[in-house]
Amino acid sequence: MAKVIQLDNKPWLRANNSRRFLIFLSSVVPLPLVMLGAYSINLDMTMSFLTIFLPLQILTAALVGFQAFGKRGIGDAILVVLTVFFSLFVLILLLSVLGSVLTEGFKTISSQFIIQNNVYVSTTTSLDYGGVGHAILGSLMVVALTTLAAVPLGIAMAIYLTQSQSKIRDLVRTLTQALSGLPSVVSGLFILTIIEATQIGRSGFTGALALFPLMLPTVARVSEEALKLVPVDLRYAALALGAPNYRAFFQVILPAAKSGLITALLLGLARVVGETAPLILTVNANNGTNFNVFEGGLATLPTYIYGYLASGYQTSQARAWGAALILLILVGILFGLARVLGRTKSLKSKAKK
Amino acid sequence: MSAKDSKTEVRRKLVAGPLSKGDQVFFGTTTVAAYFAFVLVALVLGFLLWQSWPVISDQGINFVLGNNWNADVEPAVFQLGPMLWGSLLIAFFGILIATPMAISMAYLIVFMLPKRLATWATTLVDLLAALPSVVIGLWGLIVFTPVAAGWADILNKNVGWIPFFSVEDPENGFMRSPFIAGWIVAVMIVPIITSVTREIFSQLDRDLINGALALGGSRLSTFRRVIFPTSAGGVVGGILLGLGRAVGETVAIFYVLNLDILHINWANLLEPRGGAVASWILAKFGEAGPFEKQGLMAAGLVLFILTLIVNFIANFIVNKSQPWRKN
Repeated sequence: MAKVIQLDNKPWLRANNSRRFLIFLSSVVPLPLVMLGAYSINLDMTMSFLTIFLPLQILTAALVGFQAFGKRGIGDAILVVLTVFFSLFVLILLLSVLGSVLTEGFKTISSQFIIQNNVYVSTTTSLDYGGVGHAILGSLMVVALTTLAAVPLGIAMAIYLTQSQSKIRDLVRTLTQALSGLPSVVSGLFILTIIEATQIGRSGFTGALALFPLMLPTVARVSEEALKLVPVDLRYAALALGAPNYRAFFQVILPAAKSGLITALLLGLARVVGETAPLILTVNANNGTNFNVFEGGLATLPTYIYGYLASGYQTSQARAWGAALILLILVGILFGLARVLGRTKSLKSKAKK
Repeated sequence: MSAKDSKTEVRRKLVAGPLSKGDQVFFGTTTVAAYFAFVLVALVLGFLLWQSWPVISDQGINFVLGNNWNADVEPAVFQLGPMLWGSLLIAFFGILIATPMAISMAYLIVFMLPKRLATWATTLVDLLAALPSVVIGLWGLIVFTPVAAGWADILNKNVGWIPFFSVEDPENGFMRSPFIAGWIVAVMIVPIITSVTREIFSQLDRDLINGALALGGSRLSTFRRVIFPTSAGGVVGGILLGLGRAVGETVAIFYVLNLDILHINWANLLEPRGGAVASWILAKFGEAGPFEKQGLMAAGLVLFILTLIVNFIANFIVNKSQPWRKN
């Protein structure tokens, strides 16, 4: 008659009721108290949080800590309260950005706003006319053009970084990492110098060129991580069977790293789809729809937002919010896809272990 | 082992044969692609230097030290001092705010939250990193600036005697100051510092931490004596990465900062004037003539060299402090 013995393997998690009550008290009481105080003396919300709530919360937490663990409980309590407080601050900032884009954006957005272009629309035209259709198209075309060049090159770099035994490999890696911090405006200026020097016309193509140095390092770095996850034994096995290196790559490593490489593509896209400064410097604005990437001005979502935000009118700001929402949705989709693919990848690699 | 084995004659030596045609093409392509990183850096440096040389040789060292920018006078003056100092001031202030937030976030994710919540928090922070800077600028201009101006007002009223928070004339309002730009920059670099710090925290030796706790250490003492000393280097690297990003930030700062090229705003955070090189390039580009464009390219060159150096150092430190990533 084997009786299941429940092992109390985490005795430190046991808390007696009076301690629980104290913790509850200390974490719940200060908030309404401060709310009440702030309401009664008309104090600014954030300020009252900073000047009254935080010290009060630290004090009560420290008291409970002292009650429960003695002297050392005080430091712990302060650490925990500060950590939670700062982290909440980050979350509040993030949610404020997301929330304002969502609420303001949905006020603007409509089917006509997504489809129509910006011809005959001024900063004060009512929101019933005009939209960002041309800018969505332009953004997609420019980014697609960049992707065509940056993804193969980035993956090739990643192959070099994972397979080469060369001495300068570390140098290449360092340089790629440093390039990923390239300020976007410098990339735009670089292409601008080329435009000035060669007198090629400003078009969507030059914009794509300006995005290229920004996308390349992201793709290269994430692809390198993806290729590293493929067990090196797989490659050795293929080589031992007599496969040449390129077939070992295309038939063994590439299928194994596929989802990781797609993640690299998506993260690279998310990195450049919102870039503004390089496009302002290298592409002429355009209010109409332009299907030709290689000639004439081209509108893109970020430059559209930039253009409308510069003028202070209510309707133009509303347009900027609407375009920002669409841009955010684009980034969100790319990012979400990358997340999902990345997760299945990590599950697989765990299963292998 | 031993005698018998050593007598066995080697009949055939293992020799790597010459690469096949396909492999030559394969490795050739990847090597060329890798060398493209050098080519790209050289091209950017070369083209910017070539195009901006007339301005740089004309202005000399005053290009980075003087404070004036006027293309209409003869001879034209292009001096970037206030913008350069402004970039650094904003970046340092942003880092000052962002670092505690980022380290707290990383600590919360790695050591305090249950696994499921931690995954969510990580995703949220990564999402913050993916927000386009123009969207942050939009939010910063319309939503955040009024709020932060309120904070600045309170700071100025209560602790205005501290030099950092004093202003010449409070009637000017507190909009478009380095204070607000610093906050915007902080929002953009928190995710960078957080992800580097989180990576380092999560790779710390758990036995070390459990050992410290088992010896009777508290959360605080474990953090101070175990976690902090072992991860400090990497965190500094992450902060430097954030610095690189902060210095190069363009559009978001452009909206929330009043650019003043004539005077250096040394450290009056609340004064509604300041500078940022990248935003200055954007602001002046629209109506710039050919010669002024060359001046802007020179500004871009300075920015590029600055960020390249910062990023090199940052990556060096981060890589050094993450030996488990090497292979």
